[in-house]
Amino acid sequence: MARGDEAALAACYDRYRLILFGLIVRILNDRAEAEDVLQETFLQVWRRANDFDENRGRAFTWLVTIARSRALDRLRSHGSRERIAAEAAAEPRDVMGDASAETLRSEEAVVVRRALIELPEEQQRALLLAYFEGLTQTEIATRLGIPLGTVKTRVRSGMIRLRELLRDQFPGRR
Amino acid sequence: MVHEDYKEMLAPQALDALDPTDARAFEDHLSGCAECRAEVADWRDTASLLAHMATPAAPSDALRARILSAAKPTTERSARVVQMPPRRSSNLWPALLKIAAAVAFVALIGGVLWLWRRDVTSRREIARLTREVATQQRELARSRDALAHQRDLVALLSSANAKKMELTGTAAAQKARGTFVFDQQTGSAMLMTDALPAAPAGMAYELWFIPKGHLPMAGKVFSVDASGRATVSDLMPPEAREKAVIAITLEPKHGSAQPTGAIYLSSPS
Repeated sequence: MARGDEAALAACYDRYRLILFGLIVRILNDRAEAEDVLQETFLQVWRRANDFDENRGRAFTWLVTIARSRALDRLRSHGSRERIAAEAAAEPRDVMGDASAETLRSEEAVVVRRALIELPEEQQRALLLAYFEGLTQTEIATRLGIPLGTVKTRVRSGMIRLRELLRDQFPGRR
Repeated sequence: MVHEDYKEMLAPQALDALDPTDARAFEDHLSGCAECRAEVADWRDTASLLAHMATPAAPSDALRARILSAAKPTTERSARVVQMPPRRSSNLWPALLKIAAAVAFVALIGGVLWLWRRDVTSRREIARLTREVATQQRELARSRDALAHQRDLVALLSSANAKKMELTGTAAAQKARGTFVFDQQTGSAMLMTDALPAAPAGMAYELWFIPKGHLPMAGKVFSVDASGRATVSDLMPPEAREKAVIAITLEPKHGSAQPTGAIYLSSPS
């Protein structure tokens, strides 16, 4: 795809569209806007393909980082964080997933879910607020009404534990 | 903050959860800390796996076509860009070169004309100045000569041995007059004429010293100005210093050994 091959772009889209679209919908909670952002994401991927160095990072991380960053930008530009915050309150729905979505999940997704569920619930909560809502640690503390130091500990502990669990699952991952 | 503080920031940084001040400080630390830099990608991979917590969802089939067709113009544009250079190089460059050559040619002609005109002007100016210098040098020489004659004359007249003779015009030049001054001791002599007629072409006046009982002795050959004036310095031969007649005759322009022409001026005998 770095060579500007259209077929490569199509293959990339077919492989990652479900996870990326799911991520963007989760952040924006609006399918129409999510499609706009998914399009922006792939066009950026298409234009910046030369920036991606396979030896320096995973393609998955690169794509997900672009999609999340664009979705969060869109979320902030709409000032619709409060709307999403209401949705986030009903979070268990997403953590557990539903039966129909389960069939779309990749093996990697299943492994990650299992790992996350092993974390204490308050650590899961902190990580998901940071990741899907783009909140800083200070904002999380405000949202949850707990001290900043507590949030820092939860984020750090949660990430360290998650990394250990996933390192066991994906030994080949750098 | 110390290194350990930044190490604790790795996890929240991967989630973009640092507060702005900490995020900037971390970026600064990162540029100088290879150890932290090496860990950033690993933490970012872990954070990115959280995307799997979102429920996968399928976008509309139309979106796939929209994205691929939006990407297409880019490829067509780049394809066109690839084709452009040869067309430019075959049409634009020669045209530019022609224009550049024309401009250079016009500039060259202009430069040559300018140099030529400047050269002509310069040469004219040099010629004029040369003439001027020559004129001034002639005038200067004349002044110098006149001054020298005056000095000689003053020296002659102030000498105790100075003698003066008046010359009168003959039948050939009745209005002509002259004065001859000489030093009996040294023989320094000076002739001044007035109202001598202009010598015909190829002819000149010649000064003669005619001692008593001797053949005429030749002095200087000279010409006169428009007023018939001349000032001539000469050295009088010793034989003529005691007693001699001074005469001026008209001779061929390079002079004669003995007088051949008519006498124009003469001292009393």
